[in-house]
Amino acid sequence: MAPAVLVIVLFRLWPLLLGVNFSLTGDGDRNGVVVGLDNYVELFADPLFLGALRNVGWLVLLLPVAVAIPGILATFIYLRVPGHRFYRSVYFFPAVLSPVIVGSIFNLLLSFGGPLNRLLDVLGIGPVDWLGDSHVAMFTVVGVHIWATFGMALVVFLSGFATLDPALLDAARSDGATLPQVIRHVIVPGLSRTIQFVFVTTMIGMLTSMFGLIYVMTSGGPGGSTYLPEYYIWIQQGQMNRPAYASAASTVLFLVMLVVGLAQVSILRRTGRED
Amino acid sequence: MKQRAFWSVAVAATLALAGCGSATGTDSSNSTSGKLVVWDWKSGDKTATAYVAKAKADFVKKHPGVTVEFVAQPFDQYYTLLGAAIQAGKGPDVMMFNGGGQIRDRVDALVPLDGFVAPDQQRLTGWDAFAKDGKTYGAPVTLQGYPVYFNKTLYKTAGLDPQRPATTWDGFTADCATITKATKASCFALGNKEGIGIQFFLSAFGSGILTPQEYDSWIAGQRDWTSPHVKQVFQLWKDVNDRGLNSKGGNSTTLFTDAFGIFQSGKAVNIIGLMSDIGHWKDFNEFLGPDNVGVMKSPVIAAGATPSLPFDGGIGYAVAKWTKDPALAADLVRSLTSTEALTAFYADAGAVVSDTTVQTSSGGAAISAIVADLKTGKPALHVALSSKTIELMGRLSQQILEGTVSVDDALKQLGESDRS
Repeated sequence: MAPAVLVIVLFRLWPLLLGVNFSLTGDGDRNGVVVGLDNYVELFADPLFLGALRNVGWLVLLLPVAVAIPGILATFIYLRVPGHRFYRSVYFFPAVLSPVIVGSIFNLLLSFGGPLNRLLDVLGIGPVDWLGDSHVAMFTVVGVHIWATFGMALVVFLSGFATLDPALLDAARSDGATLPQVIRHVIVPGLSRTIQFVFVTTMIGMLTSMFGLIYVMTSGGPGGSTYLPEYYIWIQQGQMNRPAYASAASTVLFLVMLVVGLAQVSILRRTGRED
Repeated sequence: MKQRAFWSVAVAATLALAGCGSATGTDSSNSTSGKLVVWDWKSGDKTATAYVAKAKADFVKKHPGVTVEFVAQPFDQYYTLLGAAIQAGKGPDVMMFNGGGQIRDRVDALVPLDGFVAPDQQRLTGWDAFAKDGKTYGAPVTLQGYPVYFNKTLYKTAGLDPQRPATTWDGFTADCATITKATKASCFALGNKEGIGIQFFLSAFGSGILTPQEYDSWIAGQRDWTSPHVKQVFQLWKDVNDRGLNSKGGNSTTLFTDAFGIFQSGKAVNIIGLMSDIGHWKDFNEFLGPDNVGVMKSPVIAAGATPSLPFDGGIGYAVAKWTKDPALAADLVRSLTSTEALTAFYADAGAVVSDTTVQTSSGGAAISAIVADLKTGKPALHVALSSKTIELMGRLSQQILEGTVSVDDALKQLGESDRS
C-alpha cells in the first residue's frame, strides 16, 4: 500500500500541485512573482479561451452523433446485411491511423480546390470552404474525428451484440416487429451497458485526442473558431512564452475534465446498480 | 519479477542520464576543452550541411579541444522545447532564434553579445532584429525580407512588359486584370491558414502606403493604429480579397507551402514571398526558370509614400545565460557567422545572408534585384510587433476576410494589444 501511495503522491499529486502553484505566478518581467489570481482573471476575460471552452460544449452536444453512427453501423453488421464482413474491416481501418495522417488526408480532400469541392461543383452546389469558414470548420474537424475513431466503438458494439440473446430477436421477428421496432425495443435495451460504455470512452476521446487534428487541419482557425483548451495551452506555452499563464489554463482544463469524469463515473455506477 | 524491476530501473536511469547529457554537458572551465551544445532547426537540412561543417571547422581551429554538438529540433516544436529549457534554467549553450518578437520575448535567458561580436558589427547587417533596449542578444545569419515576386511568363502571355512592372497601385491592379483575363491566373496567391498572409501583406505593402515618417515611427515603437494610413493597409487587405484578386480559400490555404505551390504552378501572377529559408527566389527559380522570376517593391498606393524593401535579420544565434563560458560560446556564434560559412549557406540554401561581402552575382536576376534593394530597405513592419499582437493579427485577418470583424474593430483590438 505505502509504495503505491508514494508513487501516486510523487508522480501525480505533487506535480499537479506544483502546476497549480505555478499558475499563481507571473510570466516575463513578473517571472517567479506571486500574482494571485491574475492569470485566471485574464483567462476568463480572453474571448479566445472562452471560445475554446464553448467548443468543448459543442463536443459534448455532438456526442450522441458520435455514438449513434457506430451503433447503427454495428447493428447492420449484426443483422448480416450483404457484405457485412467486408464492411467490418473497412470501418475499423481508420482507427489504426494517426491523427496527423488522417488530418493530412482530409486537408487534401477538403481543400478549397480539392476533390470534394470539385464534386460539389459538378453537382451544381457551390464550393464550401470546409476548413476556412468559421461556421463550418469545427464541425468538419469533429466529423473527421468521428470518421477516424468510430471503428473502435464499432468493435465494442459488436462485442456487446455477442452477449445479446438471439432468441429475443427471433421472438420479435415472429411477432412481426419492423426493423425500427426491433432496434428500439430489443437491441437498445439489451445493449444499454455497452452504449453507456461507448458514451464514456467516446467523450474521453473527444476531449483528449483532438489536438493532432486541430493542429494539422485548421491551426485553431479561422479566427480562432476551432480552438480547444489543449491547443490554447500549447500556443500560450510554446508560441507566447507564457508558461505560468498556460498553467492556469491547464488547471481550468483539469477541473473541466474532473467534472466530466465524475459525471461519467456516476453514470457507470448507476448502470451497474440497474443490472 | 525482480529482474523486471531491475530492468525498469536500469532503463529509467539510462534515460535520465541521457537527458542530462544532451541538454547540459558543458564543461568549459578552461576554454580549450569541453563541449558546446547548439540547438537549431536548420542543421538537419541537407542544404545546411556545408554551412555547419565550415562553421565547426572555423571554431575548432580556434579552440581545438572543444567539441560542438548540433541538435536539430523540429521547427514546429522549437520554441516549446526552448521554453521548457529556459524554465528549467539549463539547456543548450548556443541557440538559434528568429529575429524580432521570438528573441526579444526571451532576452532574460540570454547573454548580451555586444562586447564579443564587436569586430563583426560592420561586416554583418540585420542586427536590429536581435537587439532589445540597445543591447544585442544574437548575431544574424540570414536576412529575411518580403519582396513581391511575379511570374514574368504570365506577363508576356498577356502582352505586358515584365521588365517594367507597374509602380502605382492602379497600374498594378490593371495589369493583374489584363493577365487574369488572358491566363485565368489570380492576381495574388494567398495563404492565410496560419495567419501569416497578413504579416507579409502588411510588410510588403506598408511602405507603399505609410509616409517615411510614419514608417520610421512605427519601427521605433510609436504606432498609431488609428491613423488613416494604417487603416488603409488593413482596408486594402479586405478590398483585395473582396475584389477577387486573391486565390480562392485563402483562410484554408497554408502559406507554407500551398500558396507557394499556387504561384509556382502559374495559377497566380504575384506572391509576397521570402528572401531566405523557403518560398524564396531560389525555390521559384527551380519551378519557373531563373529568367521568369520577377521581383518588385510595393507600388505606390498612397501619395507621399516611398516604397522600400522590407527586411530584417532573419535567423541568428544567441548565447544562453547558463552557459559556463559565455566568451567561448560567443566565439562559436562568431564562427557561425563567418564569411566562409555564410558563403556556403548562400550557395546551398539560397539564403540571403547577413554578410554583405558574400558574392551573389551568379544567382539570377531576382536575387540581384533583392540585393540591390537592401541598401534602401527598412525593417519590416510586422517584425516590430510582439508575438502576442502578431498572433491576434493573424486571427483578426481571417475574420476580416470572412466579414465577421470590421477593419475598425480589428484595429481597435490590435491597438489595445500593442499597448499592453
